[in-house]
Amino acid sequence: MRYLPISLLLLVWACASYPERNNFQSVETSNASVTNPYFSNPDKDYVYKADIDLYKKTFSGLLIFKKLGARHHRVVFATELGNTIFDFSIKDSDFIVNHILPEINKKMVVNLLKKDFRTLVTENLPVLKTFASQNEYVFETEIDEQAHYYHTIAGKLERIVQTKNQKKKVTFIFSAVHAEVAKNIQILHHNIKLSIRLKAI
Amino acid sequence: MRNLVYLLWILVYTANAQSEMSATDAQALEAKVKKASNTTETITSSFKQYKHMDFLSNDIESLGKLSFKAPNLVKWEYTEPFAYSVIFKDDVLYINNEGNKSDMDIGSNKLFKQLNQLITNSIKGDLFDRTQFHINYFKKGSVSEVHFAPKDEDFAAFIKAFHITFNENGEVTEVKMLEPTNDYTRIVFKDRKTNQSLPDAVFAH
Repeated sequence: MRYLPISLLLLVWACASYPERNNFQSVETSNASVTNPYFSNPDKDYVYKADIDLYKKTFSGLLIFKKLGARHHRVVFATELGNTIFDFSIKDSDFIVNHILPEINKKMVVNLLKKDFRTLVTENLPVLKTFASQNEYVFETEIDEQAHYYHTIAGKLERIVQTKNQKKKVTFIFSAVHAEVAKNIQILHHNIKLSIRLKAI
Repeated sequence: MRNLVYLLWILVYTANAQSEMSATDAQALEAKVKKASNTTETITSSFKQYKHMDFLSNDIESLGKLSFKAPNLVKWEYTEPFAYSVIFKDDVLYINNEGNKSDMDIGSNKLFKQLNQLITNSIKGDLFDRTQFHINYFKKGSVSEVHFAPKDEDFAAFIKAFHITFNENGEVTEVKMLEPTNDYTRIVFKDRKTNQSLPDAVFAH
């Protein structure tokens, strides 16, 4: 009997949504949409030095993003020596593999990259719910029917958290932001040992 | 006035013209490059790399240094805008990525093995292997340009062709690696020094 309240509490916590678990309070939605400005300038070549840790392996190279249209981006990963490892186009709801090295052309790998990059380059999304805590606002939205939480401080996008069953699945952290360019970006996967660090060059 | 325009057009065209080399000239170039390559013990050079992709507004530029010691020690080092070096030694790639060191055994990877061999050979310019490449020779003013297209299909899916520019002495001044999409990486060598003493420590990991 003594354990019942604790069990109940755990049960309630387990059912709690991602923002509630993180002590965010639901507030009235004032923004109709949330914006990620970090890949939105079509005149700019977004070039990052990328370091990828996958389990015990590390890879590095250049990750390049270019906006080619309203909802159209190209994402290319190349070695430092310039050889293209993969080259994707993300256009509306389409995802096109322009080129990929046969060695990494595995369905699981491509799906993972597809999800991560779609989240990174999607610019405008409708807000479904809004949460707040102190000076931070969190906007709930959906990409490919999966819940995403956009954390903003003073109107600036700091983090995107992709969740599954209300648990953190992937966190995208944007830092050293100048003129709507995030000089540092981290992509942390919580259910597999994969992390990607990007540094603008 | 009209004649002047024609004249200018012809002048500009001739300056940029790339004409196919005669078989004799091609043989002479090949002999010169092979001779230079056989007497090359060490090479050091700075380079500027341009990664060109049609969809980008600008080429991605990086700077670095190359060190080569015969028969097959190569260090390829980027200094700007990031610090990254790779040493090709036997069947292992030794990587130093901004201070983080790692190595990769490429003995079992056909693609990397070929790339390693090609990088070594292209620095010396010695890719003249007709069993491996379709070769075409061009003359561009005082310099020569040779196009090497890999015959191996798996490799051609990775790099469609190497275009190597040689100066009058048969030294490599530029390497362009074309990808199947026609995007390319162009490497321009500068301050090349050959056969100067180069300690093994340069290739230490």
